[in-house]
Amino acid sequence: MTLHIAEKVVIVTEKIIAKGVCKIIDECGATGYTIIPAGGKGSRNIRSTTDRASVVDDFSNIQIEIIVKNTEMAEAIMDKVRARYFKNYSGITYLEDIKILRPEKF
Amino acid sequence: MDFLIDFLSRLVSQFQSPTLGFLIGGMLIAACGSRLTIPDAIYKFIVFMLLMKIGINGGMEIRDANLVEMLLPALFSMLTGIVIVLLGIFVFSLIPSVKREDGYATAGLFGAVSASTFAAAMVALDEESISFEAWVPALYPFMDIPALVLAIVLASIYMKKQNQDEQNDIDVWAIVKDSLQGSALSALLLGLALGLLTIPDRVFESFYEPLFRGFLSVLMLIMGMEAYARINELRRVAHWYAVYAFVGPIVHGLIAFGLGYIAHILVDFSPGGVVLLAVMAASSSDISGPPTLRSGIPSANPSAYIGASTSVGTPVAIAICIPLFIVLAQAVF
Repeated sequence: MTLHIAEKVVIVTEKIIAKGVCKIIDECGATGYTIIPAGGKGSRNIRSTTDRASVVDDFSNIQIEIIVKNTEMAEAIMDKVRARYFKNYSGITYLEDIKILRPEKF
Repeated sequence: MDFLIDFLSRLVSQFQSPTLGFLIGGMLIAACGSRLTIPDAIYKFIVFMLLMKIGINGGMEIRDANLVEMLLPALFSMLTGIVIVLLGIFVFSLIPSVKREDGYATAGLFGAVSASTFAAAMVALDEESISFEAWVPALYPFMDIPALVLAIVLASIYMKKQNQDEQNDIDVWAIVKDSLQGSALSALLLGLALGLLTIPDRVFESFYEPLFRGFLSVLMLIMGMEAYARINELRRVAHWYAVYAFVGPIVHGLIAFGLGYIAHILVDFSPGGVVLLAVMAASSSDISGPPTLRSGIPSANPSAYIGASTSVGTPVAIAICIPLFIVLAQAVF
């Protein structure tokens, strides 16, 4: 089996800005992304996952994963999201080297 | 003196209402570290059910109502929302330790309306057999939307002056749309339309009406638990928020009660309607307001305004303002 090298951008941020972040991802030319509910502890607060009734659901957190083929696109996504949102919204973003099976998908 | 004793004894009996009991019970078990959780999906479903019930009921009765009577109370609702926001912004501008954007957002949230507080007030009025016009729930958006729009517009103008946001143009319609698309107002408006245009009497009587009180009690439990959970957040911001959140609902409610009284004299607005108007003014939005403000004033700290509203403002509105205004109405009218 041949695996191909790719990059994965991970963004953990507030659900309320998910739409805007996904728009940036699309504009940068990525072919897709995965959104996962997230919870944990960060500089702004402890966020629960979805088991407890949260009166304000839009303030829960999500993790968005984007697989891209080159570092330029990955950095463009990270930079645009940081510039647009991370001053006012909580969020972290990091890059991982990964191996993928079907490069034609990305 | 008799008046005062009567007033106080009525107040005490209001404190024994089941609605309030569930709210305090929720706070207590959260304070005791209970692991009891009520799933998020159930919370959302309950909010939807309550607003559908209120909406359908209102819609069914509006069919035979004279809507011209609604004009003055609707105008007063808008006026109350606007006055609360302006007053709040003014009060917070006097406190140097409060960031201005946080003041705008908190004032906006307290000007907006809480669906759960409103539902609790309707049950309380029902228990006292105080009637009100069927269209009173339809006043909700008249207070809610102007308050949120005004707070966000004023905050944007302020931030423009500070040159923090150059690219941010104010889009009033976007704020109105966002409010209308919120889960609370969508359900209420859909219910109103269904009640008005269809004949939902059977499904209403067999499903929505019997479940209303039970669901409200669970909602109060959740609100109590959430209030306790948010107190920690409130502790991290200036203590003035707690003071504002305690005094604000009572003052806001009294302003609306005064306006409602004028409407009572001019257009014969019912005492029950005056109480509901006052409770709407006393309440602070807990479902649809926070996300709208978060998008509209992103630089404001959500811990400040949500902590103030959920952990102090809403309990005060339910526990103090509802009984206070009912008793006041019984004394005045």
